[in-house]
Amino acid sequence: MNEERKKILEMLQQGKVTVEEAEKLLAALAAPEETKSGVEKPACKYLKVIVEPGPQSEDRDRVNIRVPMKLIRAGLKFAAFVPKHAHASINQALHEKGIEMDVTQITQQDIEDIVSQLSDLTVEVEGKEKVRICCE
Amino acid sequence: MIPMLMRLKISRNPSSYGVLLPVFLIWILLFALMVVLFPFVLIAALFTWESGQGKWLLMAYPLLISVLFHLSGLHIEIGHSKQNILIAFL
Repeated sequence: MNEERKKILEMLQQGKVTVEEAEKLLAALAAPEETKSGVEKPACKYLKVIVEPGPQSEDRDRVNIRVPMKLIRAGLKFAAFVPKHAHASINQALHEKGIEMDVTQITQQDIEDIVSQLSDLTVEVEGKEKVRICCE
Repeated sequence: MIPMLMRLKISRNPSSYGVLLPVFLIWILLFALMVVLFPFVLIAALFTWESGQGKWLLMAYPLLISVLFHLSGLHIEIGHSKQNILIAFL
């Protein structure tokens, strides 16, 4: 264990920092070197969804969608228009799909955090069709 | 930047049609409609302010404008063995 981590844990033990603060400090320590030195990855401008027929697929359907990230951010703000009485139905529908999530607990900041982390996202599914979701 | 043109291309073997639609004309009409409707929205917002819905009615205007302004760059291409459709906001 390096000195900095040890010091943070000692501060937590002594009650000088809260668990959340310690967690943030440890996460900052674990951040990659290029982020610390100020060299950041280029911002993600578009979310791309590409669906192509797989080798065994009979139908030749193709989908290529490129959505600007700014449009996603703007569109997500419409989530605030979901009436409160609909939250229970949404939670129920999610529960039926096996997703244990309470939509009332999701804040605008949470959504913003998720969207900002999408630049690291790459999903590739290969089956009957090849699906690729990535940022560029 | 708000998109000024929309490219629509439909390809059906062997022919292909493509048009550049001046969507800025739609935006002009839409903004005019929004201005005309604004007093009614304001009244509706005042009446529903107590229930908390009024705030969202007023918020709808800047949110809608924000979505329109960020449509630029949206590209949707759907292809089939016989037909291809492309919609792109420029």
